[in-house]
Amino acid sequence: MIISRLKEFDEILQLLTQKNIFMIGCGKCAKKQHTGGEPEVIDLKEKLKAAGKNITGWTVLSSACSINSWEDVLVQNPAINKSDALLIMSCGGGVSVISRYAGISVYPALDTESLGGVCCNEIVTELCGMCGDCTIWQYGGICPETQCSKSLLNGPCGGAVEGKCEVDERVCAWDKIFERLKELGKLENLEIIHEPKDHTKKSRGKKV
Amino acid sequence: MSFVSTLHSGKFIITAEISPPKGTDTSRMNRDADLLKGIADAVNVTDNQRAVMRMSPLAACGLIQGKGIETIMHITCRDRNRLALQSDLLGANAIGIRNVLVMSGDHPVKGDHEGAKPVYDVDSVQLLGILRKLNEGFDLSGNELAGRTDIFAGAVTNTELNEAALIKFKKKIQMGASFFQTQAVFDVKSFSGFMEKVNGIRLKNVKIIAGIIPLRSLRSAEFLNKVPGIKIPDDIVRKMKDSKNPEAQGMEIAARIIKEIRPLCDGIHIMPVGNHENTKTILEMADLL
Repeated sequence: MIISRLKEFDEILQLLTQKNIFMIGCGKCAKKQHTGGEPEVIDLKEKLKAAGKNITGWTVLSSACSINSWEDVLVQNPAINKSDALLIMSCGGGVSVISRYAGISVYPALDTESLGGVCCNEIVTELCGMCGDCTIWQYGGICPETQCSKSLLNGPCGGAVEGKCEVDERVCAWDKIFERLKELGKLENLEIIHEPKDHTKKSRGKKV
Repeated sequence: MSFVSTLHSGKFIITAEISPPKGTDTSRMNRDADLLKGIADAVNVTDNQRAVMRMSPLAACGLIQGKGIETIMHITCRDRNRLALQSDLLGANAIGIRNVLVMSGDHPVKGDHEGAKPVYDVDSVQLLGILRKLNEGFDLSGNELAGRTDIFAGAVTNTELNEAALIKFKKKIQMGASFFQTQAVFDVKSFSGFMEKVNGIRLKNVKIIAGIIPLRSLRSAEFLNKVPGIKIPDDIVRKMKDSKNPEAQGMEIAARIIKEIRPLCDGIHIMPVGNHENTKTILEMADLL
């Protein structure tokens, strides 16, 4: 699941220089996190109206990043044709896909934070860094590239205080890795010396 | 005698830390360097420590070495990717820097450029590996160098190590760290426990240099107690609180700690709060000069 958060209202208002705005929410990740489902779209719509914006209409697509046909979206939502801009309540993937086809200005209402997950109603953030070279099993299923604030692959830094990361007091990823590997009886994995990451494996860095 | 030779001569090592200036005025740094000449076996030069932007340690080391003082250049993984780290190491070698101290580096959010992109392209274990390759005449990609480096590598460690940290300590040795400089020691008993732990895994020629911070005030003690890896025992905090002359008290405490840990480790590393005006006196009080 893509983790996102709603931008500050003032920031959204500043983005929207156009008058007639159509709003699009997302029925997948943003809905689950309550950042871009129907209640959130309606809530933001009312606030924007109160701030003097003309909201021409709104919809929640089943998935903003996965659209079969923009023509279908237009047929379902003819008000888009009377709008100057779209305000999207989805992750950057959804905003990008819609920007590609919309032909008018498209603005994000959310900030995209990380690739996380949801389990038993608990939203967990920053699980995967999409490095293109998954070695997570060596770390007991906890990715240090993402969960360690310094992306350290060979063990903890000296910055944690009482098990809390120096950056934001989250539990040190390396303590979690240690505990998980211990549970799994795989502490020997900690002895592996990991070479520097090959960043050409990321999609953007691929060698041509 | 070079730092490497001194380290292996069996002499109890004295190193001391200097921070490059925040700006272009090098007078304070030069004064500190002059105070340490003939006292310290080598002078450590920090690399944007606590993620606060300062003059490049490469330039600062160059200036200090110009005074005939050997330096240990700190090199963190926070600000440079593998290209920049290697090119700085080649440059360091070219201007005569023979020792580096490798570390991850405090995260940018701890410093004065919070929004900076944290690089950490490689970690300290990998950077030690890179340096080993440069010393062998090759870069990280395996390309042959026109002239290899000849740089002695050290690393840092806290003195309270959990199992994961101890394994990383071991990896640093495997990747070529020949000496370790520790976070500041205030609790001799706990330091002794640390030494027991690492003596079990280090090779004899891997040296441990204990960090010493002479306290200057109760405030400095309270501040340091919040720094990762530092724990100041209550009796020391109390002494600082009760003292009419906290600066002198801090010097006494530092000298006592040095005397007590001397039989346990291979040297000490003075990291003053402020300048090095008292460093010589502290070393004399500790019978090191």
